[in-house]
Amino acid sequence: MSTADTQEQEYEVAIIGGGIMGTALFSELVRAGINCVLLEASDDVSNGSTKGNSGIIHSGYDPMPNSLMAKFNVAGNKMYKAMCKRLSVGYKSCGTLVVAREEEKEKLNLLMERGKTNGVPSLKIITDPLLHQMEPNLIDEIKYGLYAPTAGIVSPYLVCVALAEEGVINGGIVLKEFLVDKAEKNSEYYTIYGNSGKENEKKVNAKYIVNCAGAGADKVNTIFGLPSTPCIYVKGVYILLDKSQNNFVHRPIFPLPTALGKGVLAIPTIHGNVMFGPTAHECEPFDTSVDVESLNEIKAKIATAVKQPNFRKTIKLFAGVRNKCGNDFVIKKAEQIEHYFYTLGIQSPGLTSAPAIAQYLCQELIKDGIKTKKIKLKVRKPYPDLTEMDAKSLKKVIKENPDYGKIICRCEGVSLGEIKDVLNSPLKPRTVDAVKRRIRTTMGRCQGSFCLPKIIKIISTVCDIPKEEVSLCGEGSEFIVGDIKQNGYFEKIKETKKMVKQVRKN
Amino acid sequence: MKTDVLVIGGGPAGIASAISASKTGAKTTIVEREYRLGGILNQCIHNGFGLHYFGVELTGPEYAQRFIKMLEDCENVTIKCNSSVTDISQDNNGEYNVQVTSPNGFEIIKAKSIILSMGCRERPAGAINLVGDRCAGIFSAGCAQSIVNLQGKMIGKRIVILGSGDIGLIMARRLTCEGAKVLGVYEIMDHCGGLARNVTQCLLDFDIPLHLSTTVTKVLGKKRVRGVTVAPVEMGKPIYEKEELIKCDTLLLSVGLIPETELLDKFNLEPLPVTSSFAVDEYLQTSKDGIFVAGNVLHVNDLVDNVSHEGERAGHYAGLFAQGKLTRQNAIEIKHDEHIRYTSPKYIYPGGEGEVPISFRVDKEYRKVSILVKSGNEIIARKPAPVVTAGELQILNVEKSKVKSDLNIVIESMIKE
Repeated sequence: MSTADTQEQEYEVAIIGGGIMGTALFSELVRAGINCVLLEASDDVSNGSTKGNSGIIHSGYDPMPNSLMAKFNVAGNKMYKAMCKRLSVGYKSCGTLVVAREEEKEKLNLLMERGKTNGVPSLKIITDPLLHQMEPNLIDEIKYGLYAPTAGIVSPYLVCVALAEEGVINGGIVLKEFLVDKAEKNSEYYTIYGNSGKENEKKVNAKYIVNCAGAGADKVNTIFGLPSTPCIYVKGVYILLDKSQNNFVHRPIFPLPTALGKGVLAIPTIHGNVMFGPTAHECEPFDTSVDVESLNEIKAKIATAVKQPNFRKTIKLFAGVRNKCGNDFVIKKAEQIEHYFYTLGIQSPGLTSAPAIAQYLCQELIKDGIKTKKIKLKVRKPYPDLTEMDAKSLKKVIKENPDYGKIICRCEGVSLGEIKDVLNSPLKPRTVDAVKRRIRTTMGRCQGSFCLPKIIKIISTVCDIPKEEVSLCGEGSEFIVGDIKQNGYFEKIKETKKMVKQVRKN
Repeated sequence: MKTDVLVIGGGPAGIASAISASKTGAKTTIVEREYRLGGILNQCIHNGFGLHYFGVELTGPEYAQRFIKMLEDCENVTIKCNSSVTDISQDNNGEYNVQVTSPNGFEIIKAKSIILSMGCRERPAGAINLVGDRCAGIFSAGCAQSIVNLQGKMIGKRIVILGSGDIGLIMARRLTCEGAKVLGVYEIMDHCGGLARNVTQCLLDFDIPLHLSTTVTKVLGKKRVRGVTVAPVEMGKPIYEKEELIKCDTLLLSVGLIPETELLDKFNLEPLPVTSSFAVDEYLQTSKDGIFVAGNVLHVNDLVDNVSHEGERAGHYAGLFAQGKLTRQNAIEIKHDEHIRYTSPKYIYPGGEGEVPISFRVDKEYRKVSILVKSGNEIIARKPAPVVTAGELQILNVEKSKVKSDLNIVIESMIKE
């Protein structure tokens, strides 16, 4: 995993970008026995569009027939459950529901027809009384629901992390904090640079490049000499509520889609929270800030489908940015340069489509001459989850390792042992957010106000780095600026009191 | 393991509860998730604690230590540190089965009564709709206090504080003494959330400005906070035209405390929405027999001394309950006028001996008023108050023997019209 002994190595394929697209491809290629490296700009995989995501595995009724979106969405959906099982990450087959009023019935029918054309199985229009029994929090005006039972929900970042881990334990290399800024082609190999020209310059050599850089993909294309493609960036803001609201909806609830997107949804998360969003407004490429207008918009729009949620139970506001190039995915082999593939505009349903696109790209690479090799697949081990264990197993694991009995994150019930396991996991996460995406520390109702100091200390101790270098999400996001003075607090208070008295007297 | 009384949480409320429960002769167990007792007091290294209870000014750890010593001298008490309660249920015999996880293992403790003394958590940024970027450098005040006072590490150099809760005020002074520049405390309300004495001692004495009716409208910074925008607030809405940028590297939030009641969700106890906690009777017992509450998980107190007193009451009655010596009688609801936001307890048993302390908060500042407690047509208690503020918890003792079939607390102006 260390960069020092791997950066001069030569690879068949370099994948640029460790989001769901890049990691799905990484796992696909590694499993096909292809020697490959994944280059990720930030401190961890799943740090861009993939983390600011609804987590829905769409059935595929929404994309226009014959589009790449339709093809890969339906294909990806069929792969997901088995993939999650292989990776030992959660998948919940809850289906999705598009809801409509009396006057919207025709549009809902059209949507169902579109779904059938796309090859989505088991679509059904549901009416009352079943509709409101399924989702009691739908408002009375809602009369119809298009139920897509093949849809589900996942933790998008956990799927992404698991794919990357699967790749790593089977021989693939992930290089983090590798922001590609220069590329050269020397006969057979591309040389790809990070921090080029600087002291900490990094480089790798690869025969093939696949650009999966999400919101940064157009920039990466230009680094390799391709023309820029007109893209826009669309921000989606979400409001996340506490787990106490977990029965608010039982499956994602969609309004009827419009040309602008899938609309504002009510979404149960696989961990038992409920969230509302996303909005869809054009923004700068990496601007994930949240704004008041979006919050108001979410609250107004969601009221057209469901009863008033208890927004007093809000614990987090967040946003993701997706890259949009026209109305479809762009998945291409470059014409101007050789051995270069790129993906652009992997917006929704990108999470669902990723494994199918990865399979397609893998086949394209093989067609282009890359050799595959049979490997004996090592299975990814899940992180232990104490909250899922029965009394007997708990007793056993705590006896074997008392650290599992020391609860650090009280809201999500995460123990010291679990945090240590994560810090020693294949991608060697080192930041508070990277640990959070894996086992939910700081993700509960207190949002880390109790456990953040402890987690900083644990990362520092386990990874042997000074507390001052422990960060939220990589360099520049450290929490601690140095030591306090050893003494003088009470003296200072007394001194000031005296001084103030004197000044007030005068 | 079996016990009569199980106390959940080893902070000031829990320790006082355990001491007085054991004094009733009940076998008492106290469960604390940290490695030592004391709770949040351990990180409150400033002084100002104990004036009411001990008649001297103590630091938080000193105050805790006095109670820990008293607890250790008690008979019949088992102290379990490093132990987290992960679930509570009730079996067919009416006993509470409390799941406890610790490095020593996982066990179920059976208890006849339980005392909730888990305290509060701090309200996070998301809960106050704080918008902008989500970067490092945003700390809740208590989180910052823990890092500075328990780990000896500094969290920033130029600091803005949103919210004027007591922990925020204390931290303003603490960080200033450590050489940081605290640029100001911003409070969305038109009055300070913390105690008047903390405004003087922590802000005024250190020239830290307090901006009332002003709030932080946005956080800026991709990786670490590089600034916040602030704006005045009128009628509860920020005036965005008057927004200004303050360059800083840290934002501290001191925007309120939320009782940690979630362990009890499944019992559907009668709630008290104003406090986000439970309605209790004069024994500090919830709507469910055998579940008692004390301290900040019941309602946020200003002074730890009151928390200790509350704990002692809860512990006493929980101890009696566990030994079958406490039965519910016919309770009456304590009524109050619209100036009073809630009372704790909510229910009282009329008649009998002794006094019941009734705590409450008012909705805004009142000057030259009298707080009256009426039962029947009589005024049974009266407290003249030159000033009552929303930030300060009021406590009135009511003689039980004087309580008839109703009880009503009202605020009356002393100036006759």
